[in-house]
Amino acid sequence: MLNELAEFKVVLGVIGADCHAVGNKIIASVLGPKGIEVENLGVMVSQDEFITAAIENGADAILVSSIYGHGEIDCQDFRTRCIQRGIGDIILYVGGNLVIGKRDFASVEAQFKEMGFDRVFKPSVSLDEVATLLKDDIRAKRPASYGHNSSAAWVPSLHYTLAQ
Amino acid sequence: MLDTTDLTNTKLDRATYETERETVLGTWSTGQNVDFKAGVALQSALPEEKRFSVSLANADAEGRSLLQPRAGVALLREHTDLLNGLSPYCDVLPTTVDAYTRHNRYEEAQKGIDKSRAAGTSLLNGFPPVNHGIDGCRQLVEDLSKPVQVRHGTPDARLMAEITLAAGFTSYEGGGISYNIPYAKKVPLAQSIRHWQYCDRLVGLYEEEGIRINREPFGPLTGTLVPPFVSHVVAILEGLLALEQGVKCITLGYGQAGNMAQDIAALRSLRKLAHHYFLAAGYEDYVLTTVFHQWMGGFPEDEAKATAVICLGAMTAKFARATKIIVKTPHEASGIPTLEANQAGLQATRQMVNMISDQNRMETPEIAEEVEIIEAEVHAVMRKILKLGNGDIARGAVLAFESGVMDVPFAPAAANAGKLTPVRDNYGAIRVFDQGEVPLPKDVVAFHQEKIRERSKAEGREASFSMVVDDVNAISSSKLIGRPTAS
Repeated sequence: MLNELAEFKVVLGVIGADCHAVGNKIIASVLGPKGIEVENLGVMVSQDEFITAAIENGADAILVSSIYGHGEIDCQDFRTRCIQRGIGDIILYVGGNLVIGKRDFASVEAQFKEMGFDRVFKPSVSLDEVATLLKDDIRAKRPASYGHNSSAAWVPSLHYTLAQ
Repeated sequence: MLDTTDLTNTKLDRATYETERETVLGTWSTGQNVDFKAGVALQSALPEEKRFSVSLANADAEGRSLLQPRAGVALLREHTDLLNGLSPYCDVLPTTVDAYTRHNRYEEAQKGIDKSRAAGTSLLNGFPPVNHGIDGCRQLVEDLSKPVQVRHGTPDARLMAEITLAAGFTSYEGGGISYNIPYAKKVPLAQSIRHWQYCDRLVGLYEEEGIRINREPFGPLTGTLVPPFVSHVVAILEGLLALEQGVKCITLGYGQAGNMAQDIAALRSLRKLAHHYFLAAGYEDYVLTTVFHQWMGGFPEDEAKATAVICLGAMTAKFARATKIIVKTPHEASGIPTLEANQAGLQATRQMVNMISDQNRMETPEIAEEVEIIEAEVHAVMRKILKLGNGDIARGAVLAFESGVMDVPFAPAAANAGKLTPVRDNYGAIRVFDQGEVPLPKDVVAFHQEKIRERSKAEGREASFSMVVDDVNAISSSKLIGRPTAS
């Protein structure tokens, strides 16, 4: 279970019947130290398992990986399923080798954005870049009030201001 | 479900096999058409040039290395065309199975077949042999001119074995450990070992009818910084499990790690160690060959760079005198390759193999040292496994994984401890950074630590998991070792 006070909370996993574990472990190991709390579901995760974990953890985003080529089938209607289950506005990222064969990335990106993914990444993307985009996207979705998901990182600076 | 205490390394008796077979054949509609006698008749009628065991034996006798690609698409006609397009460039053929079938999800495989038909292109990452059934698989074998092997990653491959072997496939990849730990999430190890005893028993039954089917445990495991002793122990265990069920033709595998001395030592020691354990267990009537897998980790996107990775693997495999080489393609970084990319990988490998094959046997002090280290490691772990199982290696294997005595880096399976952490040394050889619960001899651990210290010193940083991550990414970033970049 994720820390409720964490500023950035995401659910991570490899979708479908894909058992490639290496990249998954590495993504988790890189995002954690950057202040992003990761609920890592590991390999072979179904759409509903992703969504259930996102609901249970109050996650800001779902990060879907697929490297084995069945992404096109496995990710079909992912956004629709999120809407049906009441988290229609959650941030959805997808990355990996998402289709069978070497295809122009722009067409793959367009196809997955059409399915409702907010961002689509190649396997060679820098994880630093993903982390930065992720934080920006999560912040941008937040209402400008103090109320929503007040961050642990933000509280000390408030105290500091008050102490002045 | 099956408990460790029910699992033993003993030959399944005919009644147990027959009862289980009824259930297995009922798990998908195409199982009903499987007929063992018809399978034996079909296999007996196959010409020599379509028999895997014959190709392997000839290559081994003549010191040649067979080349084999990976390939599989959703539909029968397209798959046949693909294999016939590869056939002139290789020696033995594959049929790589799609990922839904690997998890017995035949309904999803069927959807993949239907969608592929509609799309006019394969949407599956392999060929689904169970869905195509006996007739489809038989047609495939008939339309090919070289031996063909089933290559997959299936913890429960019983139905697939019944179908493909009865249809004329002459080699079957996999094993109860190597097709669980790297390929599954929640399958109990005792269960997959038991399911593979069934597959091996089926191969044994064919052998009793005079039909030799080659069995190949999957060597590379997770393909990511796996120390040679880890994959060697799995290979030896699966070899022993197969022999007990009556398998006679075994090919043991190893996945390229990147440092040439370590890789050559690994393949040489694999053959020697396997004979040692097979003979010690009382098996004499078997044929052992080896297979070398070109780099199984991440590849560079650039196709010329990827070809260089392929060529390093080809050179190492030939210096190590592998009986067979599994060949990668310049499209590896993007997933499933085209026919042309697959041909290119085979051509590059062929050229390199031809240039190395007449050269002297490579002997260096580094190779000799690596052989010694690997042997010491394998013996230490095997001793512990035999002890844990009270002499029974099936039980010992399960208990070894439970206790972390056996541990595969970066594996997805819950049955794997995941404490053993590897890292490259200053020359790119794979060393043990954290041994977890693996009972390695003290002097061997000291050797690994010293090698890692040497790298730490050279790079001016302590070894850590971030160094390991750098190593995992190194080859796709055009290096072997994940050195820190100047910032």
